[in-house]
Amino acid sequence: MPLINLPAFAPDLISDLEALGTERVDTPVIQPAEPFLDMAGEDLRRRIFMTESETGKSLCLRPEFTIPVCLRHIETATGTPRRYAYLGEVFRQRREGSNEFYQAGIEDLGEPDVARADARAVSDAIAVLANRLPGVSLSVVLGDQSVFEAVVAACGLPAGWQKRLVHAFGNQTQLQRLMDTLSNPAPSGVFGPEVERLAILGKLDDETTLIAHIDETMKATGYSTNASRSPADIARRLREKMELANTRLDERTLALLREFLALELSLADAPQALAAFAQKAGLSLGEALTRFESRVAALREAGMHPSAVTYRAAFGRPLDYYTGLVFEITPEGDPLVLAGGGRFDRLLTLLGAKERIPAVGFSLWLDRIASVKEAAA
Amino acid sequence: MTITIGLPSKGRMKEDSSAILARAGFSVIAVGNDRSYRGRVEGRDDIEIAFLSASEISREIANGTVDFGVTGEDLVREGLAEADARVEFCARLGFGHADVVVAVPEIWLDVDTMADLGDVAADFRARHGRRLTIATKYWRLTQQFFSGNHGIQLYRIVESLGATEGAPASGSADIIVDITSTGSTLVANHLKILSDGVILKSEACLVRARKPEHEGNPVVAEIIDAVRGVL
Repeated sequence: MPLINLPAFAPDLISDLEALGTERVDTPVIQPAEPFLDMAGEDLRRRIFMTESETGKSLCLRPEFTIPVCLRHIETATGTPRRYAYLGEVFRQRREGSNEFYQAGIEDLGEPDVARADARAVSDAIAVLANRLPGVSLSVVLGDQSVFEAVVAACGLPAGWQKRLVHAFGNQTQLQRLMDTLSNPAPSGVFGPEVERLAILGKLDDETTLIAHIDETMKATGYSTNASRSPADIARRLREKMELANTRLDERTLALLREFLALELSLADAPQALAAFAQKAGLSLGEALTRFESRVAALREAGMHPSAVTYRAAFGRPLDYYTGLVFEITPEGDPLVLAGGGRFDRLLTLLGAKERIPAVGFSLWLDRIASVKEAAA
Repeated sequence: MTITIGLPSKGRMKEDSSAILARAGFSVIAVGNDRSYRGRVEGRDDIEIAFLSASEISREIANGTVDFGVTGEDLVREGLAEADARVEFCARLGFGHADVVVAVPEIWLDVDTMADLGDVAADFRARHGRRLTIATKYWRLTQQFFSGNHGIQLYRIVESLGATEGAPASGSADIIVDITSTGSTLVANHLKILSDGVILKSEACLVRARKPEHEGNPVVAEIIDAVRGVL
């Protein structure tokens, strides 16, 4: 493949990544499509280049590096911790900009000291960018899903709601809509006629009767043999839902969540602000806060000044394998994302790793770095 | 310029669309024999008819091979990205009614809304080791509705080109997105439509390709006005 668009600074970038003590890896451009669709959802289908093998296997052009690098790690079964670096072409259907462009980055797999690994990812990304863009001021925004999870849990919300809120975290519109719905739930008719009929028959009164009824119906209608959701699954969730039917997100909790999500301040002041928020609200954020503090301390140790970083409480990625830290680096006063990263502790097990492997990483958009470099020159 | 209208090549849709055009003053006659795929309008040599399969019509409108087409809104919205920018829905013709709906097994007593489905989808992988699967031929409409309107990302589509309603019972998918006109096939397969699960209320439409040369063309305006006039 001809190397079009490869920025002239690529070799320097490769040596920067090497100097950070990483191991350079490459992955095939043609990848199985399944893992990408499975992890990111069907939406991705419209944004990647898919094809099929002669035998009907779905394939795609590599849309990013994290999943291929992780898959390669699992296949080669080479123990942890490992820090992989990559630089190569990725392919995405974009309305604007080229459909093929270069990304580089680091995936840090299996480092048990989470705070240290998080801090290293942020400071490495900044260092690499600063080397390529001397004289350009950069802004860093940082978020942490685990703090939101802790806030939601400490508010004592029902488990089902916690899951919904955490799931929507990072998607502002969705989260806003969800909070509105929870504080003002639809009055009736959310159970459907069949459930009302069962209620009259008294079949909802205890779980065993309900499970037996569901099981019988499934057998009679031929749904048992291949059923994904068992009678117990359905009965459990139905009862959960009935218990929540008359509950609503109260004013105070709603106000607390809104107050939390509006937090945006210098990372240097964030631990104190979070502690103050928790104390005022009477919430115990426990470990999430401790972890947040140790990350800030680790950033200081890595030689970074946390006041150069903005903490935004509502900042996250609505993908279920992101678990904690997320960050983005842009030129100051410009929304163009030059680097994005985060912690994805759930990804490797989802991809088939036998043991849990904590992981954090970032990727750099080489075409954007090149355009900023050009504008600055 | 000659204006080409794409019409369904067989069945009820063919008869119904010819009938509407006839009422609007455009009598469609096949060129050669009545199995021919070309037609014309009696007394009009500025209008041509192309008989096409229903699914081809949206594609031909999109690439501008035909100026107008009569086809289901579902097929247009499924076939074209950003449909409203590329075509104009000039008139809804009152036949070919079909709703594109989200249907789940009737026995999922706990699932009545898209929000319920979102909860189930979010948990699915942890409970069953795989994503929730949807059998459908409506990839685009499903994605737009699930992620755009309801923020549900975690599901997989299993392509189904026929007998989609059978997929949940046979285990090839958990739920379906499909068209229904009376709902009887869904009931027969023990499926129910979610209370907010109607993605699109579709019917046959007169659809125009948005072409710059249509601007100020009297025949184009005449066809639209005449068809609207008889509805």
